[in-house]
Order: sequence, then structure tokens, then C-alpha cells
Amino acid sequence: MGFMTASGVGKTFERDGKSVVAIADFNLTLEAGEFVSIVGPSGCGKSTFLHMVGGFEKGEGTIVVADQRVTSPGPDRGMLFQDYALFPWRSVIGNVAWALEAQGMGRAQRNAVAEKYLALVGLSQFRDAYPSELSGGMQQRVALARVLAFEPHMLLMDEPFGALDAQTRELMQEELTEIWQQNRRTVLFVTHDIDEALYLSDRIIVFTARPGRIKADMRIDLPRPRGADIRKSGRFTEYRNQIWDMLREEVLRAKAGS
Amino acid sequence: MNMPGLDNRHVRMAAAWVLPLIVVVTMQVMAGSDSAPRYVVAPTQIASTLWTLVQSGEIFVHAWASLVRAYSGYIIGAAAGVGIGLLCSVSRPLSAFFDPLVSIAYPVPKVALLPVLITWLGFGDASKIAIIALAVFFPTFINALYGARGVSQRWIWSARNMGASRARVFFMVIVPAAAPHVFNGLRSGLALSFIVLFAAEMVGARKGLGDLILQAEEGLRFDLMYAAIFSIGLIGFASDRLLLALRRRLLAGKFPGEARHG
Repeated sequence: MGFMTASGVGKTFERDGKSVVAIADFNLTLEAGEFVSIVGPSGCGKSTFLHMVGGFEKGEGTIVVADQRVTSPGPDRGMLFQDYALFPWRSVIGNVAWALEAQGMGRAQRNAVAEKYLALVGLSQFRDAYPSELSGGMQQRVALARVLAFEPHMLLMDEPFGALDAQTRELMQEELTEIWQQNRRTVLFVTHDIDEALYLSDRIIVFTARPGRIKADMRIDLPRPRGADIRKSGRFTEYRNQIWDMLREEVLRAKAGS
Repeated sequence: MNMPGLDNRHVRMAAAWVLPLIVVVTMQVMAGSDSAPRYVVAPTQIASTLWTLVQSGEIFVHAWASLVRAYSGYIIGAAAGVGIGLLCSVSRPLSAFFDPLVSIAYPVPKVALLPVLITWLGFGDASKIAIIALAVFFPTFINALYGARGVSQRWIWSARNMGASRARVFFMVIVPAAAPHVFNGLRSGLALSFIVLFAAEMVGARKGLGDLILQAEEGLRFDLMYAAIFSIGLIGFASDRLLLALRRRLLAGKFPGEARHG
């Protein structure tokens, strides 16, 4: 009985009268406290699956998180989006405190909580700035503070660093790991970047081309806590080559099929 | 764009005055010649007439009457338009009722209904305020509705992810997110309210700038006519600037592109 169990999950999209099967008969179990990444070619259904766990998309099958069946979005499964989805009409602190405000918490209390998480991501002095004034990396940090502030059981991340440049991306990965290692929430992380997945995860699921199925489910035996140097280690490179070969197969299959 | 000479901020500001200046100077020159038609009046004469009206206070009586009608109609129409427009984005039955009605009636000039309203409500302020409110409802409704419908799905997902109820999603996400579009509608509505006001006052009003324009024209007092036209224009312009200042106050620096407005 895992923390998250997906059974028989499927989703079909109608596009211009044609049916596109994103995922079919998909099963996956996550244990509590695991950091699991899903890597796969574009269009393989990994984001669709994540959205279904989040409760944003409905389809076939059952998804159970912490013994509750998923039927709609909720604060037990906090989501981080690739385009940050911050509210531009609210200041940084207003964004971070938003969930608490929506749940009826008083101003002084919610600002105190928000400030704590803002400090965690190192943006305390930008408290009163507006999202449009911040760089992409900073906005994603605000989004991270926002999702941590309401302390969800599980974190869902949809290629959160995809819109950032390579250097910022690496730094964000290190920051995320540091923060995550402090209380080890269960994380489901979607990415197309193998190095990113290896750096962050305990376990990597490789998706096939559409319709998405599990091609490989690998336990990553790299030591924790992980520092920047881990990327240079032999084991890291071995894993990367292994996964890359699998992924390449699927990328070519996806290309051929489209 | 690099146009030498136009990069200087002061030169750009001065450029805005070129056309009005040409018109004013042309009028002044033409009015001086004997072959000028009666309706070409020297701007100096217009200014002098306007000054007389200001001194006697007469212009303020008319301006106030017009202003009360225009703003009353505007506020009623805009409140209804924005309120119902926003609600239609989240209520299917409401939208099914209003959306087709508005789409069909939008291109029909509401001013055409003036005789009907006058028959119902008389020649007084009520019919004028009603026609203005009716006209202003349409652009404010449409902009509010489409602004609300166009709110990014991501924001709504985020809000629901954070445990917001439907009501909270509406008030805390959809309403602020639709604000730029709502303001576009408010601005169109404001301009429309002065246009419709003028038409309504022309049909028959006691006091009011539109009435003054008509009476001046009938009495061949073209200087008076222009003075009144200028006054209505000035009030419209000032109202628009006020609205833009309000928009800037609420939205500047937040939404992309808003900092540059006004």
C-alpha cells in the first residue's frame, strides 16, 4: 500500500475529430518520502499523468493519494508549473501567502508563514516586489515558496525549470534538493532533462512514446545529501548513458509515429 | 524606430499639437475673409463667447446638467455591464440568457430606442439616463465577459490547487485577472456615454450642453455652438483622463504592458 497508487489510468484526447491516446492502462506506486522523476519524449503523456494526479484532468482508472481517491485539485497535492503561474496583480508576499488566505487564515499569521518560506528560498528582500519585476529563476523560487507554504503531503512538478537558462537551472536543482532534504515530502517530478532527473531523484521512471507506458523503473543509488560534484561522478555518467539510450529509442519511435 | 529629431520627448509632445494648431489657425484665417461661410467662426471669437459664459456662470449650469446625466447613466450601465459580464463567465444559465441577447443587440444603435424611452419615461432626466445606461451596458458587458473567459487556465488551476472555493476563485482570481479588459470596456463605455448624452439632449432637454448646442445652431449663434461643443469635449477628455489615472493606479507595474499606459 503505497503513498500514491495509480491503477488502470488512461486518458484520451479528442483533437479535430481524431482520438489521441495519451496514456493507457497505466499503473504506478509511489512510497512516502520518495523523490520520483518521470522522463520521456515529448508528447508521451508524462505531463498528462501529472495533471491527472493533480486532479486537473479526468480520465479512466483510479488514483489514490494518502488513502484518498483523487477527484479534483486540492492542497494536499501542491503543483509547481513550468510557467510559474504567479498572480501578477499580487506582490511576492501576497502570492506566497495566497493559499493561506484562500483557506481563511488571518493576515498577520499568514504573512508570518509566508515570510518564513520566502526566507527559505532566499527572497526575503523582494517581499513587496511584483512578479513582473523578477527574473524567471526568482519567479520560480516564489512559486516554490508558495507551494511549500501550505505544506502539501505531495509535490507535483511539471518541468519547473524548463523555461530557465542552463546555469540557473543547475542552481535551482541544488536549491530544490537542499530544501527537499529538510523534510522529504513525496515528489513526482516531470522532466525531459536526464541530468536533472538523476541529480534530484531516488527513482526514475522512463516513459515510452505515446501512449505512455513504463519502459523502465530505476532506483538511483547515488548518495545523499547530493552536492554539485555528484554530476561528475562515474556512477552518474553510467546512469545517464543507460537512460539516454532508452530515451533515445523512444524519441525516435515518437518521431517515426508522428 | 530611429527617426532623427523625434527621439526627443519634448519634440514628440509638441507633435501632438500640430494638427489642432493647423485647424485653429485655418479657422481664424478663414473667418477673417469676407467669403467665409457663416459656420466658420474665429477661434478668438469662440474663446471670447466661452469666457462670457464662464463669467455669467451659464456654462456651468448646462455642464452640470449634462454631467449628472452622463455619469448617472454611465455608472448604472457600467456597474450592470461589468457585474453581469463577469458573472456570466462562471454561470452557464446566466450566460445562456445574456450572451445571445447582447450579441444580437450590440450592433443596433441604442439611440434608436430613444423615442420609446421618452414615451415611457418622459422628456426629463430619467429617459436620458436610461438610454445612456442601456448604451454603456454593451461594451462594458462584452469586455468584462471576454476578459473573464480569457483568464489563463493556469491561474485557475493554481487557485484550485491551493484549496480555493469557487467563490474565492471568482473574486480572487477571475476578477483581478480580467481587470485590464474590464478597463478597456469602461473606457469605451465612457466615450459612448457622452455621445449618447449629446443625442439624447438634442431631442429635447431643459439645460444641458447638447441642448445649448442645438439652440445655438437654430439661432445661428455658431460661436456659442462651438463653445458648447468645446465644453462637452473638454468634459469628455477630463473624464477619460481620470479613468486612465485610476487604471494606472490599480494596474501599473503589474500586468505586462500596463506601465506604459496613459
